[in-house]
Amino acid sequence: MNGFTHLHVASAFSGHYGVTRPETMAEAVAATGSSALAITDRDGLYGSVKHIGACLKLGISPIVGVNLIILDESGSPIARSVILAHGHNGGKGWAKLCAIVSAAHTSRGRAGQLRKEAQIGIKRSLLAQLLGEDGGCTILLGPDSDVGRAALNGPRQLTTSLLSAWREMFKAPGSLGIEVVSHLTEPGTAYSTDQARAMLQLADSLSIPTVLTNAVRYLEPDDALTADVLDAARHLEPLGLFTPQPNAQAWLKPAILMHAIALEICGEASRALQLLDTTERLADRCRLEPVSDCGWGKPKTPEKSALGIEGNPFEILWQKAHAGIEHYYRGANAALLAQVHHRLGQELITINKLGFATYFLTVADVAQMIRDMKIRSQARGSGAGSLTNYLLGISGVDPIEHDLLFERFLSTERSTLPDIDIDVESARRHDIYRAIFKRYGSNRVTLLSMQSTYRGRGAMRDSGLALGLEDEEIDDIAKNMWRFSARSFRGALETKPELSALAAAVDEDRRMNLLVDITERLDRLPRHISMHPCGVILGDESLLQRTSVEPSGLGLPMSQFDKDDMDPMGLLKLDVLGVRMQSAMAYAVREIARVRGETLDLDNIPRDDPDTFKTIRTTNTLGIFQIESPGQRELTGKHQPTEFNDLTIQISLFRPGPMKGNMIAPYLDGRHGFAKADFIHEDLVPILKETWGVVIFHEHVLRILNVMTGCTLAKADEMRRSLENPRVAPQVKKFFHEKTKERGYSQAVIDRVWEILEGFSSFGFCKAHGAAFALPTYQSAWLKTHFPTEFLAGLFTHDPGMYPKRLLMAEARRLGVKVLPLDVNKSTDEYLVESEGIRLALTEVQGVSENEVARIIEEQPFKDIADFYLRVKPTRRTLERLAVLGAFDSFGGKRRSDEPGDDPEITRGDILARVRQLNAIKNRPASEANQPTLDFQVLERIPTGNAEPTMTEKVAAELSLMKLDVSEHVIELYRPMLEEMGVVNANELVGLRNKSEVLIAGVRVATQTPPMRSGKRVVFISLDDGTGCSDSTFFDDAQARCSNILFNNRLLLISGKTRRTGVRGVSIMAENAWDLREMWEQWSKARPQFRERAAG
Amino acid sequence: MQRLDENVLVSTNQSGEPVRFLWRDSNYKVRARPIRWFARRDWWLEASRVQRGVGPGVLEVEIWRMLASEGDNSAKKTQFEIAHSQDAKNGKNIWRLVRVYD
Repeated sequence: MNGFTHLHVASAFSGHYGVTRPETMAEAVAATGSSALAITDRDGLYGSVKHIGACLKLGISPIVGVNLIILDESGSPIARSVILAHGHNGGKGWAKLCAIVSAAHTSRGRAGQLRKEAQIGIKRSLLAQLLGEDGGCTILLGPDSDVGRAALNGPRQLTTSLLSAWREMFKAPGSLGIEVVSHLTEPGTAYSTDQARAMLQLADSLSIPTVLTNAVRYLEPDDALTADVLDAARHLEPLGLFTPQPNAQAWLKPAILMHAIALEICGEASRALQLLDTTERLADRCRLEPVSDCGWGKPKTPEKSALGIEGNPFEILWQKAHAGIEHYYRGANAALLAQVHHRLGQELITINKLGFATYFLTVADVAQMIRDMKIRSQARGSGAGSLTNYLLGISGVDPIEHDLLFERFLSTERSTLPDIDIDVESARRHDIYRAIFKRYGSNRVTLLSMQSTYRGRGAMRDSGLALGLEDEEIDDIAKNMWRFSARSFRGALETKPELSALAAAVDEDRRMNLLVDITERLDRLPRHISMHPCGVILGDESLLQRTSVEPSGLGLPMSQFDKDDMDPMGLLKLDVLGVRMQSAMAYAVREIARVRGETLDLDNIPRDDPDTFKTIRTTNTLGIFQIESPGQRELTGKHQPTEFNDLTIQISLFRPGPMKGNMIAPYLDGRHGFAKADFIHEDLVPILKETWGVVIFHEHVLRILNVMTGCTLAKADEMRRSLENPRVAPQVKKFFHEKTKERGYSQAVIDRVWEILEGFSSFGFCKAHGAAFALPTYQSAWLKTHFPTEFLAGLFTHDPGMYPKRLLMAEARRLGVKVLPLDVNKSTDEYLVESEGIRLALTEVQGVSENEVARIIEEQPFKDIADFYLRVKPTRRTLERLAVLGAFDSFGGKRRSDEPGDDPEITRGDILARVRQLNAIKNRPASEANQPTLDFQVLERIPTGNAEPTMTEKVAAELSLMKLDVSEHVIELYRPMLEEMGVVNANELVGLRNKSEVLIAGVRVATQTPPMRSGKRVVFISLDDGTGCSDSTFFDDAQARCSNILFNNRLLLISGKTRRTGVRGVSIMAENAWDLREMWEQWSKARPQFRERAAG
Repeated sequence: MQRLDENVLVSTNQSGEPVRFLWRDSNYKVRARPIRWFARRDWWLEASRVQRGVGPGVLEVEIWRMLASEGDNSAKKTQFEIAHSQDAKNGKNIWRLVRVYD
């Protein structure tokens, strides 16, 4: 006998258990000449699609099962068992496996509420019921079953009766087997040869077939160390506090070692051969035929009935798209209309050839549903290049006007389902999911899952936990882990200044040494499954026979497959992305309607508004979609966009690819006339004139190939994709050189163009994607220009950007938009626009519950503090906090009693005193029916003579209770010191000469370490000082000087030299940085009059 | 049962099973086929490095359990457990007597 098929293999997708990725395991097995391999992940089919894909590629047969806990009738676990699907039965085994796995998860989420503590498992009776008379799967009882445990040390009679019980319940042919495993553990313990032998004898006595496995959880013995750490992460306990795996034998052993184990268990050759033979026979039965068993690669879209259509889907698509021409090209001239008709014809031919008509109808149907729900939406990605998408209302960008190509999105050269992503208001995303489930039925829809993987900090944290490090120790290290792969943790210790303290500890502390090693081991391993942030799977009625599902945090069922599994499984994934900016803009539009009574259709505003571009060119782009980051602000200063297409270009340029590909400088030089644009050949002028000869877009490459070689655009896109693959790129090169030569281009031109195309490979960006992004960029800039108050209210309410809200408040101050203080009679859970400005929302106050906010809104208005106290029934903390923040100030002002001699003004101090009186009442009002006997109805008497808090005190309270400085900018507290030191304001930088020595201070608002061409790390820190934002750049030397505060402190003082980067752009080349508070300590020590000032 | 940690000199047969060993200047002969298993180590208490590829020796140790008797006196058989590992530097076999069952 040669060969051995492993039937029990956990991959790394068995969360916190398996160590090796399925692809790696399949490769190892194929290399030894085996013809099949199983994957049996714990609790799900998480790794199965990747496993099947790898097996198909390697030419071996995939086998798929699951490792599940089986429960008795009372819900107590009786076994952890492998359940394998039988193959070659038209999908019966696979469908049953899916049903079993899904059933094992439903007990956790039946009420729509995910109960994390509930055990994933399936009752034995339900399992028997699902398998029924005709089977379809094999359950293996192994060492972790009641039978296995009893075989180890129970009386023979008990063991026999336990196994008989299983046999009674699983009568379908081939549905039950015994799995023997020996991990060569100490005799008499679990997973020992003794146990395996006892189980074998028992099975033989009852004539139940027995197979051999190695209960694999890693590829090689060395991986057992990683498994130890994963065990700790799963137990949430340090190593040493739980029973660890017995040894390092659970690896993917080669056939020869498995044969030796068979012999060791059986004690004689003939029984061993029989054991191995039974194993191979079960393996054969479970070999899957992916197409017929799993529906591999067969597209599954909702049935016509589910879409509410009758007749030929393509004809319906044809009609709908042509109807769109009426709407979107009303009044277009004949030439344009001819172009539209021609292009649409071409696109529809392609769609029909690929059989994707139903797919487009489905997406259009969802898009229409979203519009009917009055939710803002917009297609993103290459889908914006399709005229069909535009005419169906899926995308809002006209591909003809913006010169976008359909072939980048879809072509007959590829048959994979295209991706259409729809951006929607983030606040309404879950409503959309629910509506999709309702519309198509929960048998056709599931959410998509995603596997998050261990990265730097997460890997270090779980490693630290495994080693029993203190939480503070772990926090300290995590704080300084900044943008590097955990896989190269040890290397980073030597090169990163902020890790120097840890590097020293590693030299001395053995545990730190281990920490570094195991952190590296954990890196990139799947960590846990969660709901994909935007993916919804739409299928036909067979969907739940194709994928297993489990409850998501949202309560809706979620597939156990991730996005990479969609295409192989022929599943249609629709990305419905929640975009906060869409929510912010929708909010602004609603406020404009509410306050001004103006209706505004943001999708139909003119896209060439000069004022909007003027706003953008000032680089005060805070709050504008996509172009508010420090880097984008700098680029805006240099670029000075004047039209919509400029935004598309700018957004596309500021990407890792174009940055690494050095596309920005030549483009800007051409645009500003510093260098003459070089188009290489006159044929390329029409293609590259928008970017001054620089190849930026995928669409450029397609057109160049199309014009110079005469190939179709579809073929050109295939070649563009091939360029990224070093194995096939030479063929493209050959084709390009031959064809261009034939067509009469000179060798010099051919060589130069090829050089650019080759260098371009992964650097470019899809223009359709850029244009789709540019739309909300333009729309948000337009709102900021024309309706700044409403727009800022939207930003405050939905918080879409990268910056803390307090920076946006500083921007509001700069724009002259007032942020009004909290007021219990006017504040709500949103930022409402009033005639004076924008009213702070109650939700900003920390520690105030959602219920309290809801009650305040419901009970408004209040006539005095006592009235508020009685009707809202706030906690003492909430009442006090609201008072401290001035939410009752409107009850102050003039006193209502006019006793002579009184101070006529009621201060916030007086109000606080009143609130404290109320808080001192023992019997707090409990319910409407149970009013306290105290008479609150008398005129409220507010104590007098308490001082109004100082500005410093007010700001300190705002910062500590809301993390916002509303009354004035926090930096004002340090003003005397900053003035004495000659610190420059951010808005003064633009007037300084290049290379001026400056000091700048402020609150950190952003820290970025973008990828750099040189590979060296550069740190950008943006500070806000109330007059604007300053951006400082730290290179290696400067990083070393201030490594201890580089990533930690919030209030910073930075020294450096100014560097002009463009007409309106100035940044600072940092030399050093200090902790502003520490400096204040020093400074104010010598100046006692300021001592108390910045204590907050 | 007595726990020890002493070097012993072991002779093995072709399959690597111990057949005799030298302990405290006495010769012991293995009287029945020894049983082998793998035990584990608490590497987090002992090891200084556990980097990828360090090998399973940090975690795992091979144990041989055997009945042996001193010299030619086969009447008194004692159960011994000997741990087997390989020196990470020179690959030499290391045998240590870890348990004696009196």
